[in-house]
Amino acid sequence: MTDILDHKTSPPPELLYRHRLNVRRDLLDLWRNRRLVRTLAERDIRASYKQSFFGFGWAIVTPLLTVLVFTVFFKRIGRIDTGSIPYPLFAYVGLLPWSFFTSSVSSGAGSLIYNSTILNKVYCPREVFPVASILVQAVDTVLASAVLGLLFIYYGTAPKLTTLWVPVLVVVQLALTVGLTLAFSTAVVYVRDLRQVLGGILQMGLFLTPVAWGIRSVPEKWRVAYCAIDPLAAVIDGYRRTVLQGKPPSWGLLVPAAMTSTIVLIAGYYIFRRLEGGIADVA
Amino acid sequence: MSPEAAGLAHGTIRADHIWKRFRSDDRRWSVSTQFNYWKARRRSGDEDFWRWALRDIGVHIEPGEAVGLVGPNGSGKSTLLKILTRVMHPYAGRLAVSGRVGALIEVKAGIHNELSGRENIYLYGSLLGLNRREVASRFDQIIAFSELDDAIDRQVKFYSSGMQMRLGFSVAAHLDPDILLVDEVLAVGDASFQQRCHDRMREVLNQGTTLVLVSHDLAAVEATCNRCMLLVDGVLRGDGQIRDVLGEYREWIEEVAAGRQTIEAIVPLLKAVADDGERGSPRSDGPLEVRLVLDSAEAQKAMLFIGVSEGPATPIFVIRRNMTLAAGELELVCRVRHLPLPRGRFHVWVGIYDSSWRELLPWHPATFFDVIGNRLMKAPRGIVRLSPVQVTADWDESRR
Repeated sequence: MTDILDHKTSPPPELLYRHRLNVRRDLLDLWRNRRLVRTLAERDIRASYKQSFFGFGWAIVTPLLTVLVFTVFFKRIGRIDTGSIPYPLFAYVGLLPWSFFTSSVSSGAGSLIYNSTILNKVYCPREVFPVASILVQAVDTVLASAVLGLLFIYYGTAPKLTTLWVPVLVVVQLALTVGLTLAFSTAVVYVRDLRQVLGGILQMGLFLTPVAWGIRSVPEKWRVAYCAIDPLAAVIDGYRRTVLQGKPPSWGLLVPAAMTSTIVLIAGYYIFRRLEGGIADVA
Repeated sequence: MSPEAAGLAHGTIRADHIWKRFRSDDRRWSVSTQFNYWKARRRSGDEDFWRWALRDIGVHIEPGEAVGLVGPNGSGKSTLLKILTRVMHPYAGRLAVSGRVGALIEVKAGIHNELSGRENIYLYGSLLGLNRREVASRFDQIIAFSELDDAIDRQVKFYSSGMQMRLGFSVAAHLDPDILLVDEVLAVGDASFQQRCHDRMREVLNQGTTLVLVSHDLAAVEATCNRCMLLVDGVLRGDGQIRDVLGEYREWIEEVAAGRQTIEAIVPLLKAVADDGERGSPRSDGPLEVRLVLDSAEAQKAMLFIGVSEGPATPIFVIRRNMTLAAGELELVCRVRHLPLPRGRFHVWVGIYDSSWRELLPWHPATFFDVIGNRLMKAPRGIVRLSPVQVTADWDESRR
């Protein structure tokens, strides 16, 4: 018995199992599993609304209440320059993308832990879990944008034609969201404390990002650097300019933001791939 | 399907030189342990931080094969299964698994507590890459097999563990996997469901599905599989014909049990021999003679039991003798005229009790014998043999 163990104590290095990074293959794998992503998203939507009395209403009530709080506090206390736009509309156009971002990252960060029973037993590309949780939040966001329609009707205005720019902004925002979600979903499995840290950062982000206030409150010379560090500042400002003010996004802010988002996406994918291999060992 | 599996027939498993290690400290992953790890690695290498779960495992399984995987607890069976399902990455090695893998690892395979049984079936189906229509066409079959008609729209968290297992097995075994991996879970089901599981495994085998069955129920493994692998301490110690490998495993269990046992007997057993009565090996259906020498300090009434087993403590048959022990040494001969055993190695267990069942000599393996004769006749596949055997014997006693 011992003789078997003694002369073979470690594998020859040429046999080590390596994870090769292959974006094309991974995307293809994800596409093949699109049905699974859909099933997982459906499952989560159902599981979260099935047991609650109010059902889908929560997707609308929560952001509505937040805007109400913002209106009472920020409008009365701080002086916020919204131009000619009614403050609730101004705030809601910021809040909608922000809550999509923050709930995606926080629920996506927990997605691998939440689904550990599945990923410990059945093989599937692990990306499906964070991607599905982003999809769930996207559905919530679409539901919540019904409130936006009500606000437009109430204030007797309509989205401007420049709203057509929105897909570009969505792409920048998605890159950032997916990158952070991928990185955190795996890192959290190894260091559980990260989830609390992440919650704190997102909480602060609500106030550090121009959600309740406008980018004009940031001094002109700092704005580019600000948007490079917090791409969402440029994205939210972009939504307001295009949807509410009828202006194209300010490219001077959006381009640095897009660069940061791209870097975050690449880094997130890299971290995910590196850490993903050992998840079944620790989860 | 793994990309390496291109070109292999569905249901093929090719694993070469699989190594897997885990952290040897059971502490949580924290920044400080990681820091210590890097420090130690720079100084002297990182061997102490890891323990090997699998060493250099090579497994080639062809489509339609039924392979049992046996071994003691902690030998790496589940780890190997997880690597074969690609849930876990090996540390080193080459792995190709071709086709759809249905796995039942632990009771709640792929089962989500908050969802109903019905939703779970669809979820598991999409995990295996089936679309809704494909799952729907097998839905009735799954329900019928699992007998969960009333409970299927209830949330799985309200299921009993037997119900969860029934759901898990039914789903895994009915969604047409090319490879079915079943890990020690059937024990949760009742006897009738276990039998139906074996029937179902036989059916999928007949359809050409590859089966890998992990179980401690060696009789069940023997009933279903024709090939067996023995894993001990992360090393593959045997791979071949089911009876040979199981024999090897029983042998190993025997060795470990003998090494562990310190027998404190009131009536010690001085000598134990088992043969055909003429110092030769017993033959199938021929005579077996067991000669025991006991040493009793006082005269007393006692019950003596002799059991014959294939290794583990579950005997194939037990013979009892009510007797009066005299003070001093006593030779005892037990003769079985027609030994109802096939070819193989068998162990003789001995135990002595007084009239109030106090142990005078604890139940323990005393000796073994090798039977010459025919191989065990095969039972139909899927039939678990418990080997109830009726044996009569003649007895001789003599003072020494």
